[in-house]
Amino acid sequence: MPLTASISLKNVTVEFDQGFICNKINWTIQPDQHWLVCGSNGSGKSALAAILTGAGDIESGVIRGLPRRIGVVSFEAQSELIEAERRKDDADIMDVIAEGTPVAEIISAVCKDQSLADELCQKFGLVPLLDRAFRKLSTGETRKVMLIRALTCNPQLLILDEPFEGLDVDSLSALQQHLAAVSESIPVVIVLNRLDQCPDFITHVAYVNDGELTHQVKRADTEAYQQLHQLLHLKTADLSIPPADPDTSIPALDPAQPLVRVTGAAIRYGDVVIFDQLDWTINAGQHWQLSGPNGSGKTALLSLITGDHPQCYVNDIFVFGFIRGSGESIWQIKQFIGYVSTALQWEYTVGTNLRNVIISGFYDSIGLYSKYTDHQRDIADQWLAVLGMESRADQPFTSQSYGDQRLLLIARAMVKHPPLLILDEPCLGLDDMNRQRVLALIELICQRSTTTVLYVNHHADDKISGIEHYLALENNHPV
Amino acid sequence: MSNNYFNSLSLREQLEQLGKCRFMHLAEFTDGVAALKGKKMVVIGCGAQGLNQGLNLRDSGLDVSYTLRAEAIADKRQSWKNATENGFTVGTYEELIPTADVVLNLTPDKQHTAVVNAVMPLMKKGACLSYSHGFNIVEEGMKVRDDLTVIMVAPKCPGSEVRAEYVRGFGVPTLIAVHEDNDPNGEGLALAKAYAVGTGGHKAGVLMSSFIAEVKSDLMGEQTILCGMLQTGSLLCFDKMIEEGIDAGYASKLIQYGWETVTEALKYGGVTNMMDRLSNPAKIKAFDLAEEMKDIMRPLYNKHQDDIMTGKFSETMMADWANDDKELLGWRADTAESAYEKTAAADVEISEQEYFDNGILMVAMVKAGVELAFETMTSAGIIADSAYYESLHETPLIANTIARKKLYEMNSTISDTAEYGCYLYNHACVPLLGDFMKNIKSDVIGAGMQLNHTGVDNARLIEVNEAIRSHPVEAIGATLRGHMSDMKKIV
Ligand SMILES: NC(=O)c1ccc[n+]([C@@H]2O[C@H](COP(=O)([O-])OP(=O)(O)OC[C@H]3O[C@@H](n4cnc5c(N)ncnc54)[C@H](OP(=O)(O)O)[C@@H]3O)[C@@H](O)[C@H]2O)c1
Ligand SMILES: [Mg+2]
Repeated sequence: MPLTASISLKNVTVEFDQGFICNKINWTIQPDQHWLVCGSNGSGKSALAAILTGAGDIESGVIRGLPRRIGVVSFEAQSELIEAERRKDDADIMDVIAEGTPVAEIISAVCKDQSLADELCQKFGLVPLLDRAFRKLSTGETRKVMLIRALTCNPQLLILDEPFEGLDVDSLSALQQHLAAVSESIPVVIVLNRLDQCPDFITHVAYVNDGELTHQVKRADTEAYQQLHQLLHLKTADLSIPPADPDTSIPALDPAQPLVRVTGAAIRYGDVVIFDQLDWTINAGQHWQLSGPNGSGKTALLSLITGDHPQCYVNDIFVFGFIRGSGESIWQIKQFIGYVSTALQWEYTVGTNLRNVIISGFYDSIGLYSKYTDHQRDIADQWLAVLGMESRADQPFTSQSYGDQRLLLIARAMVKHPPLLILDEPCLGLDDMNRQRVLALIELICQRSTTTVLYVNHHADDKISGIEHYLALENNHPV
Repeated sequence: MSNNYFNSLSLREQLEQLGKCRFMHLAEFTDGVAALKGKKMVVIGCGAQGLNQGLNLRDSGLDVSYTLRAEAIADKRQSWKNATENGFTVGTYEELIPTADVVLNLTPDKQHTAVVNAVMPLMKKGACLSYSHGFNIVEEGMKVRDDLTVIMVAPKCPGSEVRAEYVRGFGVPTLIAVHEDNDPNGEGLALAKAYAVGTGGHKAGVLMSSFIAEVKSDLMGEQTILCGMLQTGSLLCFDKMIEEGIDAGYASKLIQYGWETVTEALKYGGVTNMMDRLSNPAKIKAFDLAEEMKDIMRPLYNKHQDDIMTGKFSETMMADWANDDKELLGWRADTAESAYEKTAAADVEISEQEYFDNGILMVAMVKAGVELAFETMTSAGIIADSAYYESLHETPLIANTIARKKLYEMNSTISDTAEYGCYLYNHACVPLLGDFMKNIKSDVIGAGMQLNHTGVDNARLIEVNEAIRSHPVEAIGATLRGHMSDMKKIV
């Protein structure tokens, strides 16, 4: 009997064995929907799907509408079955060598449709193995057995966690065909690491982060789907930060000196004091978060460091080996800094393509005015691959979505591997999905590079993992 | 009293000076700002050019401070605020000029004689005096002390652009020159080059020219196509649209943003590209209108160029200076009172293409003005490179100022000299185009051609395209834009 009512999870919190928690899940699966559940490793995507199979202890909330017969494929279910078989062997304390349960029996134990089982065994190349003991099979073979059990148990709901993993090409296409046919009559929930394997029949995508169901996206909403794709790419692919360009390397800094030392700094406009008597030292390798309400002078303080504020010449500022106002040019300062802000995004209106925007980071320019090298071009392309935008390298920057522009500007800031990366409210103006993408990229940078990060946010509690120093500006003073 | 320097030269020398113009290659600037390193640069005046050039020079690692007239310091005028809020040292002439290795005169041209006479006795022996426009030297014949070096570094853009482009990591095209009568140590060129690097100009292209070529071409450009034509065009087009029953708010908006939109196409691909933005029938129409206007306006362009060459223009203007700017102030007030200036732009959506489709006459005016100014300048002996910068290149920059706040903004951004010349032109050009305008209907300004089909005669279209593309301003434009985009990769 096919499912007629929806399955719903309302404010459900479930605790799993190792203390992992799926928190406050709200999720409704209609009978005609097919969901893909995705997220990075350890995000809880498998746990979310497992809730539907009755796994874990429900701490609070209500689950309604779960059908009785659910076809399940997952590593957990697979290892449970293998473990059960092994225990059976151990239990047989006889001198005959235990053979274990044959595959045919494992299948027929749950099978409600023998002819379908025969057909699938044929297609999956399992026929010669039907008499073999289940526990003697390879991982890929046991997986196929699990699939056949799940598909032939006359399920009202299918929950398939990484069903395509480890399947040979023929089996894979047989499975995909079969699922496409089955999806006409029963809802399917598939857990996948990669959206590019997403079957055509999937109608919705659930994104899980840190035990929470943070995004639910309709497949038909192509823009949101695309963004989710990139977020997943940043979160899941084994990305490394593209190398710096040896030919445009930044001069070495004296390791005994701080990157930045601001002493008794003040900014005044006429009689208005934005802040004064501000001391701040940033040592290499110390990631900082700067916070404070609007108008507290966060951006002004940063622009003293970057050299964009004209009053940097009347303050006592030491940056990257230079005492400001001693005959250095701002380009000598800027070469050490990668910088991203909303204002930069507004100013970046020159008509150029994505690749050139990234290359412009080598020259600290808005727009590209220098002949770049092939090497720089390669590095820019590698960054585009990290962002999952390699196919758009030649498109105009200004035609990209707001969130994509922000990611590109972060890549532009990092392309030269600056000693200091300044991110001035990098999530400002971004929706939640885009925030996640930007934070994913920043976390990647914090982990994989030697750049010191200076992160600015007006909420002190909006933290990035890896940042351990804080400066808060309030009422014209550091607090 | 003033003494026209140009007129004191022989014809041979005049032609030689007018023909001086060479596009410099980036490789000529490898010394960077070295020639100015450690030297004290003191800027007189902190207005549009003074402030923005100073900010760039300081950011290039040079030592910059400001000297202002005593009243400006005492009254804490805007120029004083500009300098102090940006963290510059400000002092009187007596305090700062004697310490200066380079004095940058960035006061209004009208004040140059008085200012230079006041600072010259205070200047160190062997120091350098620099200008951003050669009017004082060429038209007023200012005699500078023999031991002083006199150079010019003239950005071909309003001051705000000078700064904005530098901050982007680029610069604006710049013309440099050394006054040959005042180059006692032969260091003028090295100083001018370093100064151009300090403002970022070398990245966008530097023309090595002469004081004379700069003045005679700069005056011509600003009076005719750049400011004059846009002013006359704005007034005529607006009045015509009202007469044709177009909504006044719409008409006001079409003009205010129309110049900027159509000349944006000019900036990227010259007159050809601007014309290509029109439908084929509209393009042929605009071409014919432009040809007709060029015939009508040619004598006026020639007169402006002649008056500039003979010094008659500067004499007339200096007479007005002596008369407390009576004419200038009167014309400025008239402009503020014009129907166009007083009608606010309506809050209606006009798409980019609509500015072309409904602004055929504006496109024709830009084409006619650019080509005529270029033709007139080159036939007067000015080199094509210079003529290009002073006509086509600067038109979009001036159009931007109209987009910001109509004619008021344009006239307050440009120099008094340009403003005076603009009004002169406007007064002659409005009546000159009177009969022509009688035949103009809303199909070419305000409403568009409303054609059911856009078919045209192939032979005629080929002829028109050929004529547009083969104009000499297009060839030099393609070369100079090529130099720029070698550096400025615009995709
Ligand atoms: N604007 C342009 O697009 C442009 C482009 C290229 C070259 N230029 C050239 O640059 C030069 C400066 O033009 P600008 O447009 O920058 O002028 P501006 O904006 O009018 O600024 C002039 C400055 O000079 C000061 N000043 C005025 N009269 C003075 C006097 N009698 N004595 C001393 N200082 C005086 C003014 O300050 P106070 O009144 O407060 O004293 C003001 O700070 C001119 O030679 C101009 O031709 C201009
Ligand atoms: Mg000019």
